[in-house]
Amino acid sequence: MIQKTFNAEETKVRELLKQIPDPEVEVNIVDLGLIYHIRKDDTAKTLEIDMTLSTPGCPVGDTIIQHVQNLLDINYADFSVSVNLIWEPEWTPDFITPEGREQLY
Amino acid sequence: MQAGLSTKNAPSIWVVAPHFLVGTLVFLIATIMLAFNQDALLTYHINGPVLAIVHLLILGWITTVIFGALYQLIPVIMEVKLFSERLAYITLVSLLSGLIIMVLSFLDFRFQLTLGFEIGGSLVFIAMVLFAVNTLKSAAKAEKKSIHGLFIQTSVIYLILTVLMGLFILFNLSYNVLPIPHTTLLVVHSALGLVGWFMMLIIGVASKLMPMFLIVHKTKLAWLKMAFWILNAGILMVTINAFFFSFNFYLNLISLLTILTGLSLFLRFNLDVFTRRLRRRLDIGMKLSVVGLSLLTLSIIAFILLFFNNGAIPLPGGRMEIIFGVLLLYGFFSGLILGQTYKTLPFIIWLFHYQSMVGKAKVPMPADLYKHKLAEFHLYTFIASLVALTTGLAFSIEWLVMIGILLMVITATLYSLNTIGMIFHNKKQLT
Repeated sequence: MIQKTFNAEETKVRELLKQIPDPEVEVNIVDLGLIYHIRKDDTAKTLEIDMTLSTPGCPVGDTIIQHVQNLLDINYADFSVSVNLIWEPEWTPDFITPEGREQLY
Repeated sequence: MQAGLSTKNAPSIWVVAPHFLVGTLVFLIATIMLAFNQDALLTYHINGPVLAIVHLLILGWITTVIFGALYQLIPVIMEVKLFSERLAYITLVSLLSGLIIMVLSFLDFRFQLTLGFEIGGSLVFIAMVLFAVNTLKSAAKAEKKSIHGLFIQTSVIYLILTVLMGLFILFNLSYNVLPIPHTTLLVVHSALGLVGWFMMLIIGVASKLMPMFLIVHKTKLAWLKMAFWILNAGILMVTINAFFFSFNFYLNLISLLTILTGLSLFLRFNLDVFTRRLRRRLDIGMKLSVVGLSLLTLSIIAFILLFFNNGAIPLPGGRMEIIFGVLLLYGFFSGLILGQTYKTLPFIIWLFHYQSMVGKAKVPMPADLYKHKLAEFHLYTFIASLVALTTGLAFSIEWLVMIGILLMVITATLYSLNTIGMIFHNKKQLT
């Protein structure tokens, strides 16, 4: 299952991740629907992201993941950040948000 | 967790970029040479320079860029690392040296079948075998088997058969090993090369990449599977008919219809992808690719006219063959390569320069690495060139053919500026 609702803290993370574009389609990875879950624990100081890629053969796949990691490391310096790449559920274009669809036009 | 990700599988920039550099320069040189030999297009006079230009375009431009692009795309399509980068270098050196020797032999004004062709041809053959080994060994490592991979592997086998047949034609001309008519061997050589190697490869690669670039899921893979078997059957029919039935008209017709059915399924697959695409706005790479694919349709129409032309079309002898050749080499293949260059090369260059900087500093996008105005401009000169060339050839208007060639020279020049600009990209310009 993909996380559908986000609390204020998670929404802040989502907004931050919107800075990261997919280098091929130039739409940000949040609106592309690549971010599946965000888990932020202020007590344990951990920030965990589950994300996917549009295809396992994506030529810039781990660069996107590195981008997420670097951006969160800088903005959440006192947190332990982990970015997990997952393939379930398989990404489909249905995951693209209305905003993302607009950018594709 | 991240196994199978192709950034880790991506080949070194030093493997891919030299292929694009060589291919681009050969495209420019061959087109300039054509400007000095334009009368050959109208007189159908097959001389040394014409053969040199055709071989430069097929081997130096189309094949070289395909090799380079495929080294980059094998990890994307098959989700494996390229078997050997060293083998890829040796392949390029062998292909280039063989091509240079062949071209110099063609340009020798005392044009005759000499040792140069045999040495050059053998080096080209070695290059093809090494490329085939590299591709098939990479494919063997792939965990997931797909119809795209099957097309690519089969195309590589056809490549070897094509070059073997080409070499055999050369040796048979010199030493008359087997009493087989020259035309029989040439027809089989062309069918194996055009349909078996180029088309099968293009179908395998395009059917994977087009849906990825245009964001389309649930593609009609059944159409591709049918196309695969139908095209193989068509090639087999052409071969059997040529060798055993001396080009029986009805068998020829059935072979043609079979191959056309296979190609139509591929075009139908693309049309389906194109109409269902989420990414409505086409970038320059996709615009050029769509023009290239449309020119496949025109090439097919030209071939059908050629096939049924029993003097019904009032064109000078050999003109229809030239129009077909121009539409196929300069239109379909070149258009697709021009477009796919913008979809592949910027990424390997971008990864090389900026991979380590993402998220830490402001970095450009891959599409920022080339000049869009140049690319947009050469899209129009490319289309205008083909319109001028085909119209000029159809109506025997010499000056229009010359304008067509000059427009293609402009296309090749602008494309070269963008390609070379990307390969020698200066990081400081954009950061």
